[in-house]
Amino acid sequence: MAATAKAAIQEHHEAHEDPRQHLMLDPKPRGEMNSMVMEAMQGTTWKFWVVAGLLAGVVLVCLFGAWGYMIANGLGVAGVNRPSYWGIFLVNTVFWIGISHAGTFVSALLRVFKAEFRRPFTRAAELMTTFGLVQAGLSIFMHMGRVWLSYWLAPYPNERGLWPNFHSPLAWDFLAINTYLLASTMYLFLPLIPDLAMARDRSTGWRKTFYRILALGFRGTEGEWSHLRIAMNIFAFAILPVMFSVHTIVSWDFAAATRPGWASTIFGPYFVVGALHSGVSAVAMVLVVVRARMKNMKYFIRPEHFNALGKLMLVISMTWAYFFFNDYMVQWYGGDKWTRILLEWHETGPLAWVWLLMLVCNVAVPWALLWSRKVRVNPTALFVVGLIINVGMWCERFVIIPMSLTINRMPFTWRTYKPGIEIPLSFGTLALFILLYMIASRLIPLVPVWEVQEGQLAHGLRKVGKATVPSVSELE
Amino acid sequence: MAETKTLLALFEDIDPAARAVDKLRTLGIPDADLNVISGLPVTEAMLGRPRVWSNVPRLALGGSIAGFLVGVFLAFGAPNLYPIHVGGQAITPIPPSIVVLFEMTMLGMLVSTFVGVFLDATFPNYRPKEYTPEVSDGKIAILFRCPEDKQDRATRAMQQLGAEKVEPAEARRL
Repeated sequence: MAATAKAAIQEHHEAHEDPRQHLMLDPKPRGEMNSMVMEAMQGTTWKFWVVAGLLAGVVLVCLFGAWGYMIANGLGVAGVNRPSYWGIFLVNTVFWIGISHAGTFVSALLRVFKAEFRRPFTRAAELMTTFGLVQAGLSIFMHMGRVWLSYWLAPYPNERGLWPNFHSPLAWDFLAINTYLLASTMYLFLPLIPDLAMARDRSTGWRKTFYRILALGFRGTEGEWSHLRIAMNIFAFAILPVMFSVHTIVSWDFAAATRPGWASTIFGPYFVVGALHSGVSAVAMVLVVVRARMKNMKYFIRPEHFNALGKLMLVISMTWAYFFFNDYMVQWYGGDKWTRILLEWHETGPLAWVWLLMLVCNVAVPWALLWSRKVRVNPTALFVVGLIINVGMWCERFVIIPMSLTINRMPFTWRTYKPGIEIPLSFGTLALFILLYMIASRLIPLVPVWEVQEGQLAHGLRKVGKATVPSVSELE
Repeated sequence: MAETKTLLALFEDIDPAARAVDKLRTLGIPDADLNVISGLPVTEAMLGRPRVWSNVPRLALGGSIAGFLVGVFLAFGAPNLYPIHVGGQAITPIPPSIVVLFEMTMLGMLVSTFVGVFLDATFPNYRPKEYTPEVSDGKIAILFRCPEDKQDRATRAMQQLGAEKVEPAEARRL
């Protein structure tokens, strides 16, 4: 009897949760929130500098050192060779472009759909877009080998009056990635202006000068807000098709070739979903670290945000599985001899463990764990799941690129890909991404305070019958 | 002709600021002489202010047309000006050209939207301007140009409506 009553009380508490656990229903004065964000940005411990120093060392040795060595000695020091001319450099390119999708997805799509949970972490996600694209760009230049000739891709005629072929997927890549990099950087900057002005008003010394220049003289007049609001709405709608186009075009680098395993009509959306799978997981990982390591972030980033992201990760995992199976099924059923050999190679060849790891990480682990709210709201658990998904998505790109290139219609060329200098270079790009993010976290307000305050202004509680429920007003 | 002065009235919240805007209007201060500055996007509707005209959508449209035309040049102009015939393939195939047209149109639209904000808001502008840093703490400031003979009345009215301070606006280096 007592146990039943206890269960009923517990049920009541669960049903009538404290509304203050939601950031939007737990407002603080704006000045206090500003101080919290400024303190998080300026409070740097010696541990931060030790980690930053180590990362800088890794970047110096593994990225610039190894790249310099490759430039001096040629692409022969990398593992790319016939038939796998595309190796880990392009695996990393596709992977980082995928990571970059999360920023836009989280910020623009959730802004368009007015998903309120996005507010405190849109900027943290948008930063990933910009820095992810930097790594993707670097990886393409590594793949080029002779980087000093990269200007040949730019749309202007060379000495012989020949223009780049704009009907080649590689030229589309150039246009799409550059459009996305520019657009996402502008989209990062526009909502940042009011927060830079806030930081300007609260800084001294070199920081004051830095924020003063970047805040552009913003005061918050009606006109300034109105132009910003209109521009952000245009960006939120227009950047989404650009985001979809980027990874679709990347997928066409493969799908437009008549190779077994690549010639697939579903590669476009399959790649986009894959990008979101790794990207949203990476956002969750970054938020866990930011929350744990930066001062005052526990107020802004809460279990409700991890819960929402965890649900998103689960849904995206299911969508990825659907696309993977769709792609696999049609190729398997097609009965083409070379495709059949390729699929067997994936599943039973010497690198079959990569293929299996991909499925375990991308499907089995998220499905087994993310259905549970306890896992979703636990930052450590969500970090681990996010990491596993990213390992899985990296494996997916490895399976699609060098593993699939191993099998072609000329069996005498078959050769298993063994990476060389690509490995240190991969660690170098990862270290550079983390280092750039760490530096940015100390220079720009990672939480868009004005967006949080706007959200808190729009939220309230109202009575529906006997229940008190959260409600949101449309402010715009 | 009475001399005019710009005053700054600072309010804690949106509601008193909206009432203050109404009051200033009744005191004969036209909307053109009022400006509200705030640390979050308080819409014109909330304050009962006339809508701010923005050229950003038109510039975005212009930019997208310009981008489209650049795309037409890249996809159709360049291959026709410098044709390379490869195995009987079309010089200007339509499906791949759509990709180029799309990317350039979107690039034009987004860049012009971004530039549009700079043009309309006159960014960057580092000259001294009337401002108070309390605005970024969530307070709302009303800047209004007021003839000397109305200053006392306007100041009293703002204070009665809950203004934390009413003072001559100070142009400061931002």
